[in-house]
Amino acid sequence: MSMTERILFWIAIVVLLVATVGVKNKVSDLEKKVSQVSQTQGGQ
Amino acid sequence: MSPKIERGIYIAVIAVLAIVLISFGKKELELKKQMPITAEELYKKLSNPKVKVQIIDVRELTSSDDIGGYEDSRIPGALPYPNCDDSKMTQGYLVEAKKRINPYLYTVIVSKDGDPEIFKKCAEKFTNVQNLAGGMKAWQEAGLPDESGEYTPPKAGGGGGCL
Repeated sequence: MSMTERILFWIAIVVLLVATVGVKNKVSDLEKKVSQVSQTQGGQ
Repeated sequence: MSPKIERGIYIAVIAVLAIVLISFGKKELELKKQMPITAEELYKKLSNPKVKVQIIDVRELTSSDDIGGYEDSRIPGALPYPNCDDSKMTQGYLVEAKKRINPYLYTVIVSKDGDPEIFKKCAEKFTNVQNLAGGMKAWQEAGLPDESGEYTPPKAGGGGGCL
């Protein structure tokens, strides 16, 4: 396996990792907001 | 380590990460469906030309109540889709509007008062969709711009809301 191929694989892995962490944070944020909204609606 | 095994490991890691990313993406869309968007947030999105938003108005075309129907007052650029009922989309300008509805575009459903029941019904037809909290009533109460009259398709492409 050539060094270029290895570097390309690593780039793909890093990009996917960054995207996954970003989306995971977004999901956590949304989960918090949804629970806040449902609590507000439940309290009414 | 042989190149074949090494390549296989890399591909497996990439596949696992891609699956995780897709599942998080799906979860995000599901959560978004549960989170209504406020009139002010929607206005901000519509003001940003980089954000593509499709506004679907599910009210009847005309109505005698305070809020009115689609033809009386609507968010600029909103597409009519009364009650999300395909059988109603066969007459007049509704045929043209139906052609322009894109189920894969980020969509905001506008009802009279943000009714969650009608939103649930419509949400099944779109992949990335949010409800307008308070519906058209909230939009009007916030004093945001609206338009009236029959639906006329935009001249230069575009599908959804525009200000």
